Amino acid sequence: MTGRDRIVLIVFALLAVLAAVWLLAVSPERKLATKLATQVSAAQAQLMTAESAVASARGAQARYTAEYASVVSLGKAVPPSQEVSSLIYQLDQASNQKQVEFNSITSGSAGGAGASPASAATAAAPGAALAGFTQMPFTFVFNGSFLDLYHLFQQLNHYTLRTASGGLEVSGRLLTIQSLKLAPGTSAEQGAGKAGGKSAEGLTGTITATAYVLPTSQGLTGGATPASPGGAASPAAAGSGASGSPTTPAIVRANP
Amino acid sequence: MRAFNLIPAEQRSGGASLGAGRSQGAAYAVLGVLGVLAVFALLYGVAHHQVSSRQAQVSSLTVQVQQAQARAAQLAPYTSFAALREQRTKAVSDLVDSRFDWAHAVHELGRVLPKGTSISSLTGTIGATATGSASPAPAAPAASGAASTAAAVTSATPPGSVPAFTLSGCATSQSEVALTLNRLRLIDGVSEVTLQSSTKGGSSGGSGAGGCSSQDPVFTVQVAFAPLPAAAALTSLRQTASAKSSATVPSATPAGGSR
Repeated sequence: MTGRDRIVLIVFALLAVLAAVWLLAVSPERKLATKLATQVSAAQAQLMTAESAVASARGAQARYTAEYASVVSLGKAVPPSQEVSSLIYQLDQASNQKQVEFNSITSGSAGGAGASPASAATAAAPGAALAGFTQMPFTFVFNGSFLDLYHLFQQLNHYTLRTASGGLEVSGRLLTIQSLKLAPGTSAEQGAGKAGGKSAEGLTGTITATAYVLPTSQGLTGGATPASPGGAASPAAAGSGASGSPTTPAIVRANP
Repeated sequence: MRAFNLIPAEQRSGGASLGAGRSQGAAYAVLGVLGVLAVFALLYGVAHHQVSSRQAQVSSLTVQVQQAQARAAQLAPYTSFAALREQRTKAVSDLVDSRFDWAHAVHELGRVLPKGTSISSLTGTIGATATGSASPAPAAPAASGAASTAAAVTSATPPGSVPAFTLSGCATSQSEVALTLNRLRLIDGVSEVTLQSSTKGGSSGGSGAGGCSSQDPVFTVQVAFAPLPAAAALTSLRQTASAKSSATVPSATPAGGSR
């Protein structure tokens, strides 16, 4: 073996050692560092998401009192049960205020505005469940003057209405009037009620309207209490942001 | 005389072995290798440091994430309740928005009706969903038909339904009937007024129904309103209106309805 051969062999051996060092030690460590950098980025993103969720939850916790009041107020417009008695009371009160005689209420609406209360009684059963709320169709008959009936229709809409700011103002049951019929009242109807004194302008107003009921699965507040939502930890235990006063304005305002 | 080379034997190979010395350049190779190894060691050290610090960072972040997630889970019922309130408010708002303001329509009717016209009966209905142009013919009430069950909203008066009045009455003359038709078109939100019939009574005298004489024309008119808009359209309209008049208080009863 000549000296040149020895040199070539030594050079190859050194290169092999260098390659081995790179491949076995340096390169894996650098790859691991890169991989960990990716993990750090992912963990940071995860942390931001989690902190955002916490902030959102704390906001919800701070607004809980106002939101609970809103939900309870909405229950006035759409109650968890049929609440027909409160509906009758509400209609009676409105008709008294508007000088209109509240003649009849019939469950169901298939007879429409033109149907008599008797025929409407054989109409579709109340509680036609659709997606979301359950519909409860009714047919109401009122006696009164044109102007008084107009005021009554207005009042029925005003139980639940939009405010200028886009919120809801709830003071009674939400009703959707589907049809109405105004016709001269019969003499018997005019003679019986308040419209009897002004028979020349006495009209019979027949209204087909729909009230709404919450799905039975939901309940009014979904198990929440004024103190805490159902299944939630008490505000004191839930974190430092728990004691904040409600900052979000109540969207729904209930008028007694 | 024999020539004698005075140059030492190891230095006789000329320029090719310049600087190689006795080791024939192996020393340089060793130095090069050592240099490369030093660079490798530096790279390894830096990478190792990064690995250590990043591992610690990942561990710390993982703990923080777990803590944050635990806090969020603890407060989850509040978030759920907020979602419930938002959902219910939206549902009620959509129902409120989908109503037709009959009171306003009746008020408008009383405002535009000429003096020489009497109305004997008025029937208002929310017709079927409009397809294309609004049809004046009212259909069955929406709640009793398939329209309400097929609609995405729970309203008994779904968007696209056409409210309509059917008026029966009498006027003092046929020209008064024509005037009535023209005046009915002035009602807020009316899209079409259609005369169904206007028939003059017999020659016999006496008083007819609704304060008209028996000779006065008796008419039936259908008044169709614009289809009920979708809630989304109303929301965007409301947002536009509130953006325009943020300082002033806009009317709660827009034209054509309380929506």
